[in-house]
Amino acid sequence: MAADLTSTKLNAENHLLLDQPLLRLPHELARKNFKSVQRFVEREREYVLPALKETNNALQSNDQTLDQTLAALDAMISRMQCLKRKMETLHQEEKMIHSQSRKRIKHLETLHQIHSLADVKYDQWARVRLDRLVVDHMLRSGYTDSARQLAQEKDIEDLVDLNVFVQCQRISESLRHGETKDALQWCNENKAALKKSQHNLEFELRLQQYIEMVRTGDKGRFVEAMAHAKRFLAPSIDLQSTEIHRAAGLLAFPRDTKAEPYKSMYAPNRWTYLSDLFVRTHHELLSLPSQPLLHIALSAGLSALKTPSCHSAYTSSSSNSLSTTTSVCPICSTELHELARNMPYAHHTKSYVESDPIVLPNGRVYGQQRLLEMSSKVGCVDAGKVKDPTTGEVFEKGEMKKVYIM
Amino acid sequence: MDLVQKEHERLSKKIKASQSINNVQITIDSLQAARDAIASDPSQASITLAKLQSSVKSSFDSINDSLKETHSSLNKYSKSLDKLFKDKPLPSTEHDALSSQEHLINRAIAMHLLREGQFAVAATFLSEMAKKKAMESQQQAGSSASENAATLLDIDEVPSNEVRKQFATMYYILHEMKENNNLLPAIQWSRDNSEALEARGSNLEFELCRLQFVWLFHGGPDRQGPIPTGRQVALEYARREFQTFLPRYLREVQQLMGAMAFCPNLQDSPYRVIFNNPSAWEDVAHSFTREFCSLLGLSADSPLYVAATAGAIALPTLLKLQTIMKAKRTEWTTENELPVEIPLPPSYLFHSIFVCPVSKEQTTDENPPMMMPCGHVIAEESLKRLCKGSRFKCPYCPNESHPREAKKVFL
Repeated sequence: MAADLTSTKLNAENHLLLDQPLLRLPHELARKNFKSVQRFVEREREYVLPALKETNNALQSNDQTLDQTLAALDAMISRMQCLKRKMETLHQEEKMIHSQSRKRIKHLETLHQIHSLADVKYDQWARVRLDRLVVDHMLRSGYTDSARQLAQEKDIEDLVDLNVFVQCQRISESLRHGETKDALQWCNENKAALKKSQHNLEFELRLQQYIEMVRTGDKGRFVEAMAHAKRFLAPSIDLQSTEIHRAAGLLAFPRDTKAEPYKSMYAPNRWTYLSDLFVRTHHELLSLPSQPLLHIALSAGLSALKTPSCHSAYTSSSSNSLSTTTSVCPICSTELHELARNMPYAHHTKSYVESDPIVLPNGRVYGQQRLLEMSSKVGCVDAGKVKDPTTGEVFEKGEMKKVYIM
Repeated sequence: MDLVQKEHERLSKKIKASQSINNVQITIDSLQAARDAIASDPSQASITLAKLQSSVKSSFDSINDSLKETHSSLNKYSKSLDKLFKDKPLPSTEHDALSSQEHLINRAIAMHLLREGQFAVAATFLSEMAKKKAMESQQQAGSSASENAATLLDIDEVPSNEVRKQFATMYYILHEMKENNNLLPAIQWSRDNSEALEARGSNLEFELCRLQFVWLFHGGPDRQGPIPTGRQVALEYARREFQTFLPRYLREVQQLMGAMAFCPNLQDSPYRVIFNNPSAWEDVAHSFTREFCSLLGLSADSPLYVAATAGAIALPTLLKLQTIMKAKRTEWTTENELPVEIPLPPSYLFHSIFVCPVSKEQTTDENPPMMMPCGHVIAEESLKRLCKGSRFKCPYCPNESHPREAKKVFL
């Protein structure tokens, strides 16, 4: 029963396992933001500098009128103004991302000031974490309104990534409905990062567009489809040769074909596959785990808490809802009981029982102190008797027998 | 963590000080100026353009410089993050047994929200879930969706209305108690459930009434009221209500009455603990919540919270285990038991645990703990192995007994 001190010690560094995405995600966003700025600047630079030179040359060789020169300059000015506008919006976003990151770092920092798991502060911190995990789970499952509402009520909007998930949800939903536009736009925005990804989302999307064209069965669309394939599919021939050959073969099969693999290429559930692929790619790009963090925390927690008694056919003497001296075990509580049924239970090397255990004639073991206290509280027990809080049987005090548990 | 904080601060500073937008503005200005100059004086056009070329180029260069600085700060911050999360991979999900039980998780969340008193969020959540379910059933069943929708909804009818109502009641009572110092709803509830409470050995009803007495004694709703009136009211209350408590709580009632005599000088009396207990309201609210949840078969603290927290505590250990197992290419030998002990704080232990001192295994329904006549307990399988059907010596004392005499115990 000895509670060793090591078990309540809080090692903050180790404790951050679940919180990696908290800092990683805004950082990925910031990097993406920075890349966009860089790209915009580069693009304008590559336009403005040569254009200036050209104008100058043209002017010197006198094959340009003054109006043309002025027009060229005007064009440059308007492009630069456009660049400025873009940069300003991105800068605003950047600032927001960084202030969010700061709040998150601060949140994690508070954990480093807590040294014991028994500290009240840890309790508060862990509650915030649970809210974060729940919001994360809701967002991933598509319960956006609930997530937003919960984040608002708990005032943790800076600690969760509502917008990111809402966007992700929107695109995956559009794929489910057979729309590639949003997803392709997203691919375009993240082109550089996607090159490193092992999933070839863009190729699959283009292939799907091609399939849709062929599906119509209209000869006119076939030409279009072939042009599409040449433009978008052919460049990745090194990596995707099988798929490209199949795509070519698809032209020979009608949409109700029974022949594989063409049947599954025409299958409507390919859209579901695309949607899942998008979500996977998206999460990977932003360093998000593929599973909701709540699942990870829960499956570890359920196992750590579960004991053989939790799903036993016999009511446990040590933790049940029948007596005030015990508290109900969370695994036995209705909420988690079914969920934990198939989980492994925790490993223990030492027995853990109440001090001074006694056994009643019906085989139930209790701490003597607790049993006596409980019996004196219950009104209907005469002096010199004890009542079994689990079964309600009443025994003589003398019938209690010492039991030795090693 | 300090490093991350420092790097982030540096990064933010860089971004705040970033001149790139200013530089763009400068470029625009110089372009504009050149344009105006050329328009007004076409003869100087080529010189103006040549100047312009160099000034635009230099401002682009300085934009790039400032971008480069930001980039290097970003990279440094990246590195500090990498360092912080080194050896801490994102928890892998190879053994994710939970995704298939999404509806159970959602139910747990809904109940968690209810028990935390987040009724509005819970309502939104439930309606969103119902919507999703209706949509799914429509997609699956097509035309027969209409008749299915109704049945599908109550298959695992996420916290039934009954539970929701119960929690609403609980929060109403707690609210009355904390905000308005009104104990009457709580007392009423405990009277309605007095039988169940008594079987549990709970003192809740008496505790509530005693607090009501103390509250009346101090003047009730208007605390500044004259003490004598308060005392009068409290006395009347005691006469009316305490009758039923007499057999069980004689001593406590006597104490309360005895305090009356010390009234003018309660501070120095032995009764001051009862009458000036600042945490009394908290305590009563706490034990009320506990009793309320217990009667519903629920634990007092949110199980979702306890489990998620325990999970966070357990994760480092489990992750370490996973890496070791991967390195040694072994699998768990027992599927229904974790292979390592996870050090949880004592407050996370709820059940008694019996590990057989002979086989070092935890006892289960199939292999229950058995007590020998001498009072020592071992697991049934160990017992069978030791005795081989005849009399045997207890492994812990000189006592000999027959396996028939061993008795199953419940921990």
